[in-house]
Amino acid sequence: MHTAFPLLWSAGGTGDAGHSATILIELGIVLLVLGALGRVAQWWGLPTIPLYLLGGLVMGQGGFIPIDAGEDFIAVGAQIGVVLLLLLLGLEYSPQDLRTGLRSTWKAGLLDLVLNGAPGFALGILLGWSPTASLLLAGVTYISSSGIIARLLDDLGRVGNRETPVILSLLVMEDIVMAVFLPLVAVLLVGASVAEGAIAAAVAIGAVAVAFVVAFRLSAVVSKAVHSRSRELLLLTTLGLTFVVAGFAEAVQVSAAVGAFLLGLTLSGQVADEVRGLLPPLRDVFGGFFFVFFGLQIDPATLVPVFIPALGLAIVTAGTKLATGYSAARTAGVGQAGRWRAGLSLIPRGEFSIVIAGLGVSAGLQENIGPLAAAYVLILAVTGSIAMRLASKIRIARTAP
Amino acid sequence: MDLFETPLPGIGTRYEFTTDHNDHVCVVVRRDGARDIVLFDHDDPDSTRGSVELSPHEAGNLAELLGGTSITARLDELKHQVEGLEIVWVTMPQSGGLTGKTIADGKIRTTTSASVVAVIREEEAFPGPQPDFTFAPGDTVLVIGGSEAVSAASSILTG
Repeated sequence: MHTAFPLLWSAGGTGDAGHSATILIELGIVLLVLGALGRVAQWWGLPTIPLYLLGGLVMGQGGFIPIDAGEDFIAVGAQIGVVLLLLLLGLEYSPQDLRTGLRSTWKAGLLDLVLNGAPGFALGILLGWSPTASLLLAGVTYISSSGIIARLLDDLGRVGNRETPVILSLLVMEDIVMAVFLPLVAVLLVGASVAEGAIAAAVAIGAVAVAFVVAFRLSAVVSKAVHSRSRELLLLTTLGLTFVVAGFAEAVQVSAAVGAFLLGLTLSGQVADEVRGLLPPLRDVFGGFFFVFFGLQIDPATLVPVFIPALGLAIVTAGTKLATGYSAARTAGVGQAGRWRAGLSLIPRGEFSIVIAGLGVSAGLQENIGPLAAAYVLILAVTGSIAMRLASKIRIARTAP
Repeated sequence: MDLFETPLPGIGTRYEFTTDHNDHVCVVVRRDGARDIVLFDHDDPDSTRGSVELSPHEAGNLAELLGGTSITARLDELKHQVEGLEIVWVTMPQSGGLTGKTIADGKIRTTTSASVVAVIREEEAFPGPQPDFTFAPGDTVLVIGGSEAVSAASSILTG
């Protein structure tokens, strides 16, 4: 594989110095490729996630640019990326947001879960996958990309629109469901028997519930302990605490991502504001590694046989999301145009679909779940963003007053 | 004027109102202090005619143009107009009192009926601090209310 870098090998020589040189060069190339792809995304007005995924696919196994020495680091970086993604997601919400979200949109949220989870689960079963793998696919199709959607709502100047609160509270609901879904899946992935699984799942969900309560109660105490006027100290303390919490959560099968999400919810007030200003650049770098790592594990050739099922699934679940958003907006008393905009705005899938599929890939559960999820997210991240743009142009013809 | 308030999870709060001239307007107050102003179609509240994004600084300047002047000037004016209204500046101690605690922790408004109207920290002003605002040592706190209420509030603040 190293034939692609003849220069590098003659320059690197042998021994540790050569190895660390290779790692640095490979990581540099990965970041440069991401930087270039990010520019392309910006140019075309697309989200960066699908392009980072593509970047991962063209590198590594079966791709054009082999990545060997750096892969260990990228694997760890990917894990850090997930943790930071979820920490910042948690920081975006105040406990109050969650409470009002739960109270006002639980019905729409339930419809969202059923309509959009079912097609994924059904396809999994149709393809002869195990129930656990099918459940993972249900998660992949259920969860919209709050990253892509929130960014685009802002870019398109639709933050003030009447349907926007509906969209955002559905996204909040999905994130809450995810906090329960991930530990459940983590337990199932360990391969426990049904009875053991049920007990372990109950324990995991109980732990999450307790953590939610503790998060709300301890909010002020933890925030105060973490706070510092020095950016450096704030960064070190926050990152340290995040990794420790995420690690313990992973150890007890609650999943590192959920641990980080709950910690994000716990931090509030001034600390949350400051961390929100501090961490996004780090998240972008490690989040980039996360998407690349997912792509690296997939041989692009394996995308071909799953493309048709992925496309079918994308079409069906674009329709079900449209229906979800439309009906939620109608219930909230939003007019015709706003209902269509809400429906079209929920279509993009992204980071969390990959997080969920990544669990299946790392557990070696079903060899096709990685490629299928990658193809699915590539399709819906791109077409979903285009749908959101087109949605802004919707005008419903009215009879003159 | 009826003002409708809706929370926007992860972004801030959205306020919506209709003017006497039947203009339908929405203002989004973002957590970072930025504002968006959106103007809707006259007869369709779901279509927008345009929107303006304002940085916190620009929003402040616009507020001045719309008739707001700096808080202190307005308060001085108020003080002259209203009998029995007391305005004091309280400096937070290095420790003790409410230093390191939030406005909500002190329950100032419920126990004394006085209000914390603004906080000045170094060069920065925090007008209308929220209940979760945390006092730092050396903060200058502007308290307003009846004379007894204000002195009770100062003693809660300084401990």
